[in-house]
Amino acid sequence: MRSYFLSVLEKIHAEYAEIRYEEVVFTHLHFVGKELESIETSIEKGGNVRVKGKAGWSFISFNKIDNLSSYLTEAIKKASLPRGDPVKLAPVLPQVKTVAATFKKDPRKITLEEKYYLCSRYNRILLSAPEVQTSDLKYTDSHIMKYFANSEGAYIQQERFHIALGMTSVARRGDNIQSAHEGVGGVGGYELVENQEEKAERAAKRASELLDAEPLPGGKYTVVIDPKLSGVFAHEAFGHLSEADFVYENEKLLEIMRIGRRFGSEILNIIDDPTIPGEGGSYLYDDEGVPSRKTYLIRKGKLAGRLHSRETAAKMGENPTGNARAISYEYPPIVRMSNTYIAPGEKSKEEIISEVKDGIYACGFRGGQTNLEMFTFAPEEGYKIKNGKLTTKIRDFNLTGNIFTILSKIDAVGDDLILFTGPGGCGKNGQSPLPVSTGGPHIRIKNLLVGGK
Amino acid sequence: MEMALREAEGVEIYQEEFENTTVSFESNRLKSVESSFGQGIGLRVIKNGKIGFSSATNNEDLDLLVKSALEAASFGQHAYFKFPGKSHIPEVKCFDPSILSIPVEEMVEEGEEAIKLILKEFPDFRCEAELNKTITKTSIINSSGLRFSYNKSLYSFSVYTFLAQEGNFLGVEEEESSCQHRKWSNLLAKRVIDKIKFAQKKADIQTGTYPVIFTPKAMPLLLSSLKMGINGKLVQKKISPLSSKLGQKITSQLISIFDDATFPYASASSPIDGEGIPSRKNPIVEKGILNSFIYDLQTAGLMKTETTANAARDYDTPPSPSTTNLIIEPGDVSLEEMIKDTEEGLIVDQVIGAGQSNMLMGEFSVNLDLGFKIKKGKVVGRVKDIMATGNVYDLLNSTIAVGREAKFVESIYTPPIYFAKINISG
Repeated sequence: MRSYFLSVLEKIHAEYAEIRYEEVVFTHLHFVGKELESIETSIEKGGNVRVKGKAGWSFISFNKIDNLSSYLTEAIKKASLPRGDPVKLAPVLPQVKTVAATFKKDPRKITLEEKYYLCSRYNRILLSAPEVQTSDLKYTDSHIMKYFANSEGAYIQQERFHIALGMTSVARRGDNIQSAHEGVGGVGGYELVENQEEKAERAAKRASELLDAEPLPGGKYTVVIDPKLSGVFAHEAFGHLSEADFVYENEKLLEIMRIGRRFGSEILNIIDDPTIPGEGGSYLYDDEGVPSRKTYLIRKGKLAGRLHSRETAAKMGENPTGNARAISYEYPPIVRMSNTYIAPGEKSKEEIISEVKDGIYACGFRGGQTNLEMFTFAPEEGYKIKNGKLTTKIRDFNLTGNIFTILSKIDAVGDDLILFTGPGGCGKNGQSPLPVSTGGPHIRIKNLLVGGK
Repeated sequence: MEMALREAEGVEIYQEEFENTTVSFESNRLKSVESSFGQGIGLRVIKNGKIGFSSATNNEDLDLLVKSALEAASFGQHAYFKFPGKSHIPEVKCFDPSILSIPVEEMVEEGEEAIKLILKEFPDFRCEAELNKTITKTSIINSSGLRFSYNKSLYSFSVYTFLAQEGNFLGVEEEESSCQHRKWSNLLAKRVIDKIKFAQKKADIQTGTYPVIFTPKAMPLLLSSLKMGINGKLVQKKISPLSSKLGQKITSQLISIFDDATFPYASASSPIDGEGIPSRKNPIVEKGILNSFIYDLQTAGLMKTETTANAARDYDTPPSPSTTNLIIEPGDVSLEEMIKDTEEGLIVDQVIGAGQSNMLMGEFSVNLDLGFKIKKGKVVGRVKDIMATGNVYDLLNSTIAVGREAKFVESIYTPPIYFAKINISG
């Protein structure tokens, strides 16, 4: 590949051009209830060329690599269409690297039969709790070969396995339908999805117990959130706003997002780190060939940094962070998070809860969304807290807040950081799902708006 | 086909080829031009009575494709159907050949025009816009003798206009799409401008219960739960809250809903579904009464009923029931009349947090990204930092009026609808 790509790139005249190519083979199993809904293998091969003109970009994706030269010629023509402020790229040392996959067990060497039996075993557990009506279990393993070359001489070949297992139990009593979910996976081998019986049991038990939970009246509460939710919180409530492509050409937003601005108290640190091995959003080089690195978004409560592509870094005079990612060869890389988390503090979970007189404890997550000012995130379940003790189980409520004021309402950070990933991921500009991990310790937020019955 | 038939009793090949071009504007100017040339093939087999599936993008992998599908079939679900043979396929308008020849420069001009109109009124705002044209060729052949292919075109235009001010972010999103090339610059710009004007003033609203108008853009929040409720697959798994409600009243009698893949030039229109069954118009809710669920072949077989031609798929996914164009029959009340009728209430236009609640049960709990307060029959300003909560079925049952002017929001055709109550907390 290297000599082919470099020879094609040598012949052209463009300020900057790059080629990406991917070969992905994935196996997918999907159980719904007692039945295997689908079982399939797919072989996907495709690539793209991206060319920078003076003031913008052109991008062409394809499945037939034989036409590479003509696509490049076409892309060079289209790259001249954008007019206006010049687009520059932050300098990066061109890397020539081959990265091999890291794993313990190669999923390709596990027979389809073995995967089928593993999944049906988990699925039986998902269905085992009282009043569970159905289950939804999705297993996907993929073997990914990614090739990257650009006109600056970079050539990076990365191989990886990505594996994900999502397990949901759905319980029903009349019109009351409740579900609970557990997910595992990341960059790595088959070992990541083995021995997950306990998680399957937990999902089944939670779904079943949720039938007895009470809806919560809307209002403002002191809320303690668990590590799953504090991860979503880090991702939605702050992570997206740290993506430089939202601010780099918007002076007004940039004023609001100046480095050093205080968002929360000294105990708060939020970090994005693709270099942690084995997580959903782990990688060594991003899709622009930039080495990945750890970035502090919030340090001791103050805005400390943001996530960049080469373009946003150049425009803002900051260093590239290696956060330009694409979900597949069909899309250009854009600024994305990787593994985003709130760093652990000093309090124990028990202390954090025991200090609450009247509030709620929210656990698990169903999703989250932001419009850069407001965010929402939906817990799976919760408990009322009365005089420091968990009491009534509650369901079907949604947390919301204003990003600019919410972080200052965090008054306790726990010592129990956990990272989570699974199937699904993050969505932005039509690119979804991008594998990421999110996580944090237990945290406590005062005066949080909760939508309920 | 021949290769697969040597070992399987039934074979279906589904092939797609597509070509698209997108022009993207960022910060008020053209930023990138993107194209895709894609293709793929999906193979479904029935072997020893069981279903297997596999897909690939490139012809060089056909051997592996067949081998994988056959291997999958040894674990697959028992097939409760046979692949359909030839039948009369209606002509459905979903292809406008003129879309093929729209020059990129013309798409750029359309985008520039809309942005210019918006900035003329509101120079502080930043506009993003995307115009896309797509041509897809779909072919399906199976071992029962079906052999059919059709072309489809799609043209879409979306604008997002945004202003960040400390403590007061405002973003307005508008879009249109059709199988025909239409010029939307003026229409989209006008909609954005009108909404920004309404949002200039801030209004307060107390925690409580209010009458509410959902604009067409906000309606998918409610309809996504209904879409799950009528899905034959969820009915079969006994987790649809509607599973035992066929023939019963599930909404106000003011509401009638169709699923219609034959609607001319709508974004989900096509002559056949993903299994080659001829498209048709299916009544789902008739004057509040639940009339039908939607099925593909397998789910219908399991439920001992007929497919409703609702198999949705791409080349790389096996078929599964899904709505096509969901059409809510317009009523006879204008938006102005609804507003005039409201003593104190609100209009919901954009939300964040859709799809995160217990959607199966119809619950929603969303932050109002863009909502307006109505006082004494007039829109008085934007309401913000509040949560709107409710149940889709309760809302649909409390319908006061269905609007006259319907539009497509992606594949949902809907007018604004006026409901008796929604819970607001702030």
